[in-house]
Amino acid sequence: MFKIITNEEVGPDIFKLALKYDQLPQKPEPGQFFNIKVSQELSDDPLLRRPFSIFDFKPEEKRVEFIYKVVGKGTKILSKLKNGTELDVLGPLGSPFSLNNMNKEINLIGGGMGIAPLFYLAKKLEKQNADLKVYLGAADKSELNFFENKFSQLKADIYLASMSEELTIKGTALDLWLKKLENKPDFIYSCGPEKMLAAVEKEALKNNIIGEISIEKRMGCGIGVCLSCSCETKTEDKKNKRACVEGPVFELGEVVLDG
Amino acid sequence: MVNLERRDLDLKVSMKSKNNKSLELKNPLVTASGTCGNGKELAEFFDINQLGAFTTKGITVKSQSGNKTPRIAETSAGILNSIGLENPGVDSFITDILPETKDYTLPILANISGYSKQDFITLAEKLEGKEELAGIEVNLSCPNIKGGGMVFGTDSEKVFEITKKVREIYSGYIIVKLTPNITNITETALAAEEAGADAAAMINTLSALKIDIDRQKPLLANTFGGLSGPAVKPVAVKMVYDCYKKLNIPILGLGGVRSGADVIEFMLAGATSVGIGTINMIEPAAGLRIIKEIENYMLKHQIQKLSSIIGAAH
Repeated sequence: MFKIITNEEVGPDIFKLALKYDQLPQKPEPGQFFNIKVSQELSDDPLLRRPFSIFDFKPEEKRVEFIYKVVGKGTKILSKLKNGTELDVLGPLGSPFSLNNMNKEINLIGGGMGIAPLFYLAKKLEKQNADLKVYLGAADKSELNFFENKFSQLKADIYLASMSEELTIKGTALDLWLKKLENKPDFIYSCGPEKMLAAVEKEALKNNIIGEISIEKRMGCGIGVCLSCSCETKTEDKKNKRACVEGPVFELGEVVLDG
Repeated sequence: MVNLERRDLDLKVSMKSKNNKSLELKNPLVTASGTCGNGKELAEFFDINQLGAFTTKGITVKSQSGNKTPRIAETSAGILNSIGLENPGVDSFITDILPETKDYTLPILANISGYSKQDFITLAEKLEGKEELAGIEVNLSCPNIKGGGMVFGTDSEKVFEITKKVREIYSGYIIVKLTPNITNITETALAAEEAGADAAAMINTLSALKIDIDRQKPLLANTFGGLSGPAVKPVAVKMVYDCYKKLNIPILGLGGVRSGADVIEFMLAGATSVGIGTINMIEPAAGLRIIKEIENYMLKHQIQKLSSIIGAAH
């Protein structure tokens, strides 16, 4: 059973949802997601669950957190739910980011709501003493304030970009990262709009940088049965991979991105 | 009269056909092809052996990577899908997937799809004699592949021809899955029966369209999709009702089932067994809940044998 303990606006149409759980089938890892039924009992609208990647996980409080933006019917209903509401939640689901980067130089590149899954990842990397550089971008500065505040609590260098005003630079997370790409990192992690990921991947591969991306794909079930979120791959056998099971985290160059 | 208790209830159904073949199910629930993978994904959530039967994801002669994404869209109380039969092909199915089903104790049905009569012949030949299978479900109704599936399913003569060919080759239990995208489903259902089908499954999804009003284009990459979910249930129940009196073979009814009440409704209309599809995508262990709800209904109405209500609404 999951119960809402916080569901509050932390930016323009951006909400933080914190759930308290009784028990989890397994420990959630960065990059995994939970599939939440936002319609309440006896309602068929919306019918499908909504997948949200993990923003933060606090096992000592039995608490898992998500950041979401109100973009459609499902997230609108979710944003109106009050503290104490019980939710039907499946998870953790999907394949996580890999974490074998002891003492390495790591770049995190996040655009828009794609920043959310990078925070729990950054917390884990900090524990591994990674040399962390974080590049965050959004259309408007107001969408970054909450994330800036959270990431600044970690041992990491933070760089910010927005399209609305000059922060570290004025522009996108990609522009920002490219501007700072003098010292080649050992590994990058990125999440954001597919076009951004395609550009990050292109630059990374050109510079022989390895890493992982987390993609967003319209899902049906979230457990691998319906094949709605199949991704074309660039691997030799060209075998499709499911964003919900083999993903949402993929290696750079693994799946075909719409650039 | 003595009050019935849960342990007294008999949920068994018998899909006995004119051809003296039968599928004996411990309860009427059959997973709908394409909504349950090939078993192991759902098995992580519950013991699928508690269901009546399991239908595998549709297979074709050659492997297919499916349609472009987006392949799924949501509508009021329903979803549109255009997966496009992504599958590894029948040979891989036989070498990789079938052996994995050996551990299951429930009857396994293989769903087959094709683009020509020859495809169905090839599939029936390759699956003939496979001991892991209790039968096959001949999909003459997929709306998401071009030049096959539904094209056959809307033509009674084609339904007859293909079913007859498959019947000549395949000696196990044959279910023919029919499309609702037709004027009168009793005609194709009768054609399937006449050609030797052991059962008729109805309905596959309804051909449908959703337009993204911001992009001003169809939302699905494949333009059209098949509508499933609670929205289609009344349509499916009527088709089962229409066919029940005309057919002499059992009906596997499906379309939008998500509760025990829905299963009862299909059975009252004339279904012997009932498929669960879209609900599995939302609630992986829905089958277990539905069985409990069926039992609750039987207790409330003091029905000892579930099969006694088949067609009772007529």
